[in-house]
Amino acid sequence: MRNDVLVVQGLSKRFGAGPDAVQANDAVDLTVRAGQVVCLLGHNGAGKSTLVNQVVGLTLPDAGTIHLDGVDAVADPARARALASVQAQANVPITGLTPRKAVELVGRIRGLRKADARRRSGELLGALDLAPWADKPSEKVSGGVARLTAFAMAAVAPGRLVVLDEPTNDVDPVRRRLLWQQIRHIADDGAGILLVTHNIHEAEHVVDDVVLLDSGRVVTHGTPAQLVETLPGASLEDVYINLVGAEA
Amino acid sequence: MSATTVTPLSTPTSLRQLGLLVQWQLRRGADMVPFLVVVQVLLSVTTVFGYGLLVGTPPPDAAAYLATGAATVTLIMVGLVMTPQGVGQSKTEGSLAWMRTLPVPRWAYLASDLVVWTLIALPGSVLGVVAGAWRFDVTLSISPWIVLAAPLVSLVAATVGYSMALLLKPQLAALVSQVIVFVVLLFSPISFPAARLPQWLGVVHDWLPIQPMAELMRAMLLSDTFQMSTRSSLVLAAWTVVALAGAGRALARRS
Repeated sequence: MRNDVLVVQGLSKRFGAGPDAVQANDAVDLTVRAGQVVCLLGHNGAGKSTLVNQVVGLTLPDAGTIHLDGVDAVADPARARALASVQAQANVPITGLTPRKAVELVGRIRGLRKADARRRSGELLGALDLAPWADKPSEKVSGGVARLTAFAMAAVAPGRLVVLDEPTNDVDPVRRRLLWQQIRHIADDGAGILLVTHNIHEAEHVVDDVVLLDSGRVVTHGTPAQLVETLPGASLEDVYINLVGAEA
Repeated sequence: MSATTVTPLSTPTSLRQLGLLVQWQLRRGADMVPFLVVVQVLLSVTTVFGYGLLVGTPPPDAAAYLATGAATVTLIMVGLVMTPQGVGQSKTEGSLAWMRTLPVPRWAYLASDLVVWTLIALPGSVLGVVAGAWRFDVTLSISPWIVLAAPLVSLVAATVGYSMALLLKPQLAALVSQVIVFVVLLFSPISFPAARLPQWLGVVHDWLPIQPMAELMRAMLLSDTFQMSTRSSLVLAAWTVVALAGAGRALARRS
């Protein structure tokens, strides 16, 4: 009824064994609804990437369930992959391709027709102000342009869920604003977005819900307004530092 | 933004995706592919002439092995050495993990790499046969089945290489592939009969896929003279099944 795109329940993942074992996720619950941008916050090592990797089928959970648009993503990762698109934390090397060609090819691999992939790539690259670099060999573009290209590769045919892991890294302030607009556009068109970022200040104005992870557990969650209410006069970043700052 | 944003995606056919993956791989390697082809040609042709320097003018039976060996060596090298190096590089740079998030059947990754590496190996393999036949004065009798046999040799070599690269750490896979170069070139019954090997090594090769691959290629290139033994056919068939299953499992593995 709520049109849930991603429902994670009781998700746990431990790496290693014995005293050196790391509990990367510990009974994590999380929901992303259609049209919603959910921001996953947490310091380095809090378990954000492990959570994301389980959602997209790269890592197998020890316990818990992941449902993507009703599909059991743990039992059927292949179907889940067709429903989710991913911008990885590290830039995908596209040496030998231009940004436009890379975005187009990913769009077609994800099921768009050639003409649609071409049109959608052009729209995205234009909206991100990447036209001057769109047809240059990727070896000649800056880190920020490469980052935006990686975003466009995830956004060209987003499916039901878009997972964005640190999309603003290396991106200049003007294009960061364009990027946030596109993220909002994709959600407004009906996709759910799971966003991992350390850029709390900017994300605060775009996201609908925030989930704060610490040592693999969900410490708190709610809308930015709800979280800010817990610390009068504070920003979301202040709330974050107040809750996990000592360990960050 | 346009309505295409969340339009339910069509289900692309696996073959179409395979074509797109091949296009992705070839474009990504566009600057290196010509060099790789040249290296394979050099490897193949210099293997022929290098062995020629070692043995001078061999008797006809030895000449048959030498003339056909280079083609097999090239196919095996590409599969067992270059494929793991390519996979290792994509693991290190992070593209393999991202590619695995795409809605593409796992076999398509293997198949696209196989197509690309076979295309890279093909000129060297063909020129190696031509050079071998000329250098050792051997008259070829090529079976039309070679169009299936050569890709099969590529497939087995590449799937074994693929599994190795996916399961081992990149540095270790690179090291193992260097050892394989040494073993394939000097201690495998490809360019000489298995009877010349020490007994223990002969027994080892009875169970490895290298000897059956060489037998198959020889039977295809000199079909008037050589046949593949039933035992070798069975060993190669078993390796094909095991290697395909292994690569499939390795590709589907979740950490």
